Amino acid sequence: MRKLKEYLMITLVSVQGLLVISVAVLLPAMIFWIGSPSLSLKLFTSSVFEGGLFECIMGTIWMLLGTIAISGPIGVLAAIYLVEYAPRSSKIVRVVDQSINNLAGVPSIVIGLFGYTFFSYHLKLGISLLSGWLTLSLMTLPIIIRGSEEALRMIPYSFREAAIGLGATKWEAVRDNVLPVAAPGIATSIILAVARIAGEVAAILFTACVLTMRGLPDSILEPVMTLSYYLFVMLVTSPKFSISKAFATATVLLLVVIFLVVVATAIRTYYRRIWKW
Amino acid sequence: MVRSEKIKIETIDLHVWYRDLHVLKGVNMQIPEKRVTAIIGPSGCGKTTLLKSLNRMVELVEDSKVKGQVLLDGVNIYDDSIDLTELRKRVGMVFQKPNPLPKSIYENIAYGPRIHGINDKKELDKIVEKCLKEAGLWDEVKDRLNDSAFNLSIGQQQRLCIARTLAVNPEVLLMDEPCSALDPRSTMKVEELIEKLRGTYTIVIVTHNMQQAQRISDYTAFIYYGKIVEFGPTEDIFLNPKEKLTRDYIKGKFG
Amino acid sequence: MTLRSELTSVINGFIRKFERFKRFKMDENSLFHGLSFLCAASSIIAILFITVFVGMEGLKTFFEVSLDNLLSVRWAPYYGSYGIIPLIVGSLTVVAGALLISVPLGISSAVFITQFIPKNVHDIVKAIIEILAAIPSVVYGFIGLIFISPYLISLLNVPTGKIALNGMIILSLMVIPTITSISSEIMSSVPKDYIEASLALGATKWQTIRGVILPTSMPGMIASIILAFGRAIGETVAVLIVCGSVAKIPVGNIFLNPVYPLTAAIAMYMGEAVVGSTFYHVLYTLGLFLFIITFAATTLADFIIAKYTKALRRIVI
Repeated sequence: MRKLKEYLMITLVSVQGLLVISVAVLLPAMIFWIGSPSLSLKLFTSSVFEGGLFECIMGTIWMLLGTIAISGPIGVLAAIYLVEYAPRSSKIVRVVDQSINNLAGVPSIVIGLFGYTFFSYHLKLGISLLSGWLTLSLMTLPIIIRGSEEALRMIPYSFREAAIGLGATKWEAVRDNVLPVAAPGIATSIILAVARIAGEVAAILFTACVLTMRGLPDSILEPVMTLSYYLFVMLVTSPKFSISKAFATATVLLLVVIFLVVVATAIRTYYRRIWKW
Repeated sequence: MVRSEKIKIETIDLHVWYRDLHVLKGVNMQIPEKRVTAIIGPSGCGKTTLLKSLNRMVELVEDSKVKGQVLLDGVNIYDDSIDLTELRKRVGMVFQKPNPLPKSIYENIAYGPRIHGINDKKELDKIVEKCLKEAGLWDEVKDRLNDSAFNLSIGQQQRLCIARTLAVNPEVLLMDEPCSALDPRSTMKVEELIEKLRGTYTIVIVTHNMQQAQRISDYTAFIYYGKIVEFGPTEDIFLNPKEKLTRDYIKGKFG
Repeated sequence: MTLRSELTSVINGFIRKFERFKRFKMDENSLFHGLSFLCAASSIIAILFITVFVGMEGLKTFFEVSLDNLLSVRWAPYYGSYGIIPLIVGSLTVVAGALLISVPLGISSAVFITQFIPKNVHDIVKAIIEILAAIPSVVYGFIGLIFISPYLISLLNVPTGKIALNGMIILSLMVIPTITSISSEIMSSVPKDYIEASLALGATKWQTIRGVILPTSMPGMIASIILAFGRAIGETVAVLIVCGSVAKIPVGNIFLNPVYPLTAAIAMYMGEAVVGSTFYHVLYTLGLFLFIITFAATTLADFIIAKYTKALRRIVI
């Protein structure tokens, strides 16, 4: 009887576990399977009005580049300050860390609402690429700061101590001994931040995107189309949208995100293996 | 106390607090130039703190406070106008646990000179070779200078750290229990190294191994709960201790 | 140190540093010290600013709309009816349903991974489950509409697939990775001593799991569920696509009716509300509500993890 219950529970748990794993594999696989025939050079280079995704792809790329250009340096430097310069036992640092964590948990629609009223309206940036960059930065900043902090904290204190003992300044010690070693971890967190916002819609819904646009914007004060927004509009304005177009868009979006996550994981795993201390 | 020797470092009424803990309670000590001075005493009595006060590394500890003076060649190193990077160039430190930098063997040695302005490759090559030879490591590593420093054994790593410290041409070498993490053979090599360096550098070595102190030092200071109980030539301290506390410690009555 | 004495010493530190300013050397070291401080400070200021802004705009509603109105069950903003109850019910319904599905699946997966799978495969499997977390929410909406909807229509005999159940399923897929990754991290860090003790007494594998591993991991598992709740309640796009847009408290079967969560309301009406109007303030109140809930969830979960678990803080939300 005891044996029976044992087998039952183990089976139950295993079935659920396997179910989750299979779904995780099958979902993207299904989408790829159906959507990949639509993938072609023509898809990437022709305009949205001619059945392609050019504007969306460029829009997404520009959106991601700008956001990282803003939040990357700020986030990494902020993390450096919090780990290297701020006093370790400080309560203020803990409050700061907690606040950064909390910001990461704020729903993206609330960030989007804030971005719309503050950046687009009050700062008069309108619905524009710039407005989208600033709004998305509010989402990537916590991810980058947290990931970078973690990467920096994993580095043994002895490196800094040895360098300072040799007469290095604080900055020299960090620059030459801590940053090179933390670089993979920091890069990973930046890549994951990009993956997070690549498919983001709610935050840029009213801050950066429009539906109909031919060609690329002339300046950063103009709106863009992104893959995510395009897919969203297709699904919501129903039922007349082209299923194959939707699949194509979803496939491209998935490809981008999964690629980024795989790269980030690969970097993290590789470096975790070659570290010897 | 110290007979007719030139004094390299002198501490005057040195107090150190870690938060509310009063670690060093008015230490007055004179370190003679180009000699080996050992600091012995039970664990937790302030040996490492005293050592770290001599190159202001004690300030890296959070909530630490220092009062008093430490004179290096007559100049107080705690004065606001002192350049810390220059100070640590002149007063080098070897730590208890070997701590190579995350670089190659070559770069570990070259790092010190680099940050102090030497960038010429030929000159750096010379310095690296000289220091590795001084530390007795050259033959063991000359064929793999670009290997990661972490590929060396612990004993080799510690000798690398010593070589690294020598590369910036210090006047003083502070050593915090440099052999405590090493096996007996490596310990012997490090002690031989210290013997070689005596007479060229002023060496202050913290050790909990009294036999080691007797073997390699010229002068010994016995510190107990933040105060120097006795200081003098090593022979005198071990064969003819004046204080009862010193006698008891040496006899192993506590530790 | 108390907060007050710490603030005093920080201020004293600033005064001392200010006095040293006279002998200030502008070099690389101080440049980067200052620059990194600026970045850290700006980040904090940005966070504070968002909090204050959302708070202020959200609280203005209470001066403009009566409490009766806000707490009514009628959400018809164009007619001045700002009853947020249907929205809250909508959010809670979908989230509750999602948790009902995801908690057993998530915890079981964590047990499965940590106990029944060889160690060297751990990382790969965890990475695979992370894929579920990486999929953008709009793609989840896509999946819900294209794949799940038809099945629901045929299996359950409903007129449309845009029902709460659809949202619950999608949402559960999104939060399972949160539960699994944190719970498995916690379970892996259960001290081997405990496990060995249990087995040495003759307990079976399952008995050890039930008697030792699960109870020990309980705080961490609870924290992961709280975080999953926070994540689920903040989800916008996926539920917007699949839940239908009827802002009424569902009558009858809560699974088979459309619902309208708070997040969807903000998204749909954001473009319509004139900045500065009452409607606009109401939207901010919804936002403030979500802000506070997710804030509380994150803080609570972090607190539980820090205080009650020995797991290394490598937890990524």
